[in-house]
Amino acid sequence: MKKLSNILRIVFVVLLALPLVLAWLPSGGFESLAPASLVESGYLNSLFLSFRELSITLAATMLFAMIISVVLGYVSVLSMRAGRGFANILNAVESIPAILVALFCYAPVSGYLARHSSAASTTMSLIVFVLAATATTLPEAVRSISIPLSDLYNRKYSLSFRSYGFTKQRILAVLMNTVMMRNTLKRVAAGILLKTLVLDCSFGFIIQLGFGSYGTPAHLSPGALIAAHRDALFDGGTPVLFWLPSVLLIAISVAFLLMLNDIKEDNE
Amino acid sequence: MTPISLRNFSIHLGERMTLRDCNFSVEEGSSTVIMGPTGTGKSVFLKSIAGILSTQVFTFEGEMNVNGFPAYADGRKLDFDAWSQIAQSGLVFVPAETAQVMNPALTLDQNLALLAPGCKPVIEQRLKEYFALDFDAFARLYPDEVSGGEMQRITLMILLSRKGNLILLDEPTVNLDRNLRRHFVEFLNKEILSSEDKTFLMVSHDLDFIKKLTLDQAFMLKDGDIERLEKLPEMEGYEKPEAKKGSTGTAIELHDVAQTYFKRGIFGERTFTAFKGLNLVFERSTIYGITGPSGCGKSSMIKAILRLMDGTKGRILMEGSDLVALKPGESGRDPKAFKPFRRRMTVVQQDSRFSFFPDLCIRDSFMQIAAAGSGGTVEELAANLEKVGLTSAHLDAYPQSLSSGEMKRMDIARALTAKPDILLLDEPFAHIDFETRLQVMKVISEYLAEHATILVVVTHEDFDLRYFVEKSYDFPELVGQFAGE
Repeated sequence: MKKLSNILRIVFVVLLALPLVLAWLPSGGFESLAPASLVESGYLNSLFLSFRELSITLAATMLFAMIISVVLGYVSVLSMRAGRGFANILNAVESIPAILVALFCYAPVSGYLARHSSAASTTMSLIVFVLAATATTLPEAVRSISIPLSDLYNRKYSLSFRSYGFTKQRILAVLMNTVMMRNTLKRVAAGILLKTLVLDCSFGFIIQLGFGSYGTPAHLSPGALIAAHRDALFDGGTPVLFWLPSVLLIAISVAFLLMLNDIKEDNE
Repeated sequence: MTPISLRNFSIHLGERMTLRDCNFSVEEGSSTVIMGPTGTGKSVFLKSIAGILSTQVFTFEGEMNVNGFPAYADGRKLDFDAWSQIAQSGLVFVPAETAQVMNPALTLDQNLALLAPGCKPVIEQRLKEYFALDFDAFARLYPDEVSGGEMQRITLMILLSRKGNLILLDEPTVNLDRNLRRHFVEFLNKEILSSEDKTFLMVSHDLDFIKKLTLDQAFMLKDGDIERLEKLPEMEGYEKPEAKKGSTGTAIELHDVAQTYFKRGIFGERTFTAFKGLNLVFERSTIYGITGPSGCGKSSMIKAILRLMDGTKGRILMEGSDLVALKPGESGRDPKAFKPFRRRMTVVQQDSRFSFFPDLCIRDSFMQIAAAGSGGTVEELAANLEKVGLTSAHLDAYPQSLSSGEMKRMDIARALTAKPDILLLDEPFAHIDFETRLQVMKVISEYLAEHATILVVVTHEDFDLRYFVEKSYDFPELVGQFAGE
């Protein structure tokens, strides 16, 4: 019974996160399913592109942020001095709203993005966004790793294992590979995905509202697509232009939330 | 309403049956103790009532109702909603390792608000009255900034002051010193056991402690069966094992040793002193006992000798070499000059659950430990396990599947297998029942006869002082009753 519910849960999560995978299929294959107006106006193509770029952003941010979080979390426990330094810097970053961090990161490259309207601009925009998202997700991610790791080491395993002659470095490496820490890392990854999704869409939404097509980032975001078609909800508009990306984003967010909840239950 | 009722209830741990076809119930407002030898499954039974046993490790048969709600039906542990209902009905579980319930990322004040909302005034008053602790002084500290003894007192009081009608208490005296134990008995008798609207179920092996409580009934859990005891067993009849002797001679000298540590305060970190002015000589082949209240610095002394602490001052001499000079601080790695001394030292720490790797079986864990320089072979460990009342089958068990008492004996067997020159035991017999304890004491004594070892035991149990220790020191007296900043 439990196995069946687990399988159903996995299937449900996969279904909810499916838009990120389907976006990589040729949009031409879906043209026959969509109303002609969406295809002719280029909306369907934009929708596919925006979710494609969102999946790149999510995957790249998760990978990059996870690597840095694991390294910083590990080093923070290994060296108390380094840990204090990281904590001070990350606390300072955390005190700034994520949107402002993203804007700050885009400032130095805004000229480059304005001059280049090609693939180079999109790539640069994606890279900058990944850096910005990493900066905003790092404080919580590093804390989520270093606190349980420090607890395992300082309160539980250090006395015995140091007395056996193991170095702190080796003990921490072993502890990082325990079931408890592996579950923690999964939870951190799900948290990074959720936070990046929210930041990408809200940032794209705000930039689109403020600057229209002249604003940065130069990569497409479902949030920007929603903002661009916000008039669709008014009289004479086509509500599906607004609701389609919104519902897909909600589905993906729910998938990440379910992943977080699943991992928590495993821990319990 | 019957707070706890079991019908044909069994608990399996793999192929082992820790509870067999049990029909057991406790009446509302009653106070009950379940006794039994180490590793018999007392804590497992209590945890099954608390609903915290993993269904991936344990399997069940039969039915159980807790506070009138079904908890297990047809051997199936009911879902989260059912257990939430039970928890909200007034179930309070106090684990043996109470400090583990504290969230390390929260201050004690935040932990209190989370664990016992609305109970702060009662907790503050009880801490002051029974444990002479001012909670305000600790409220802003994090769990890792508070000593083990202080943490034990604060957590016990937080958990036992939660609003609830059914209290499950697991081996509460394991880390309590003699003085605190006396106050804790007074607290339980006055505040918990006298209350008619509270049902109390405790598991303990500490006969001395049980006899001082005003309990209604006692049961014995042995070989999977729970049997009612007409009267509590007597404490008499134990005999001190004969301490066998190897060669003697001075081995470790502590000269004016002081130990400081950092504590976070309102204005940043401040240095506090655990103890200072410690002068002591440990000779070979003598069983030294160090006693004193929780938090007085006994465990810090052990860590200072092991050179696993920063902030040690003075000299710790071993065969003319000053260990403090060889290794002034703990950086997570031993200097080359200190490594020969590291190989000669072994410690059995307070909580032996953390003496082996968490996700490896004992055999694999031990092989890595031995390879790291600790020494000994699996065969020697198996032989020592037999001596302390375990079997070589335990080598294939995982730490989480063994009871606290079994892990203690496993750790002692591991320590003896390393053939140490310096054996430091920090509360080595906690969680072990008195019969088994005597057996383990005899094994250590025999090791002492074969190896002229320096043996230091930190303990606060009268039983250990009476039946094991040859020369005991009161730690606060040794350091001139020094306490505080």
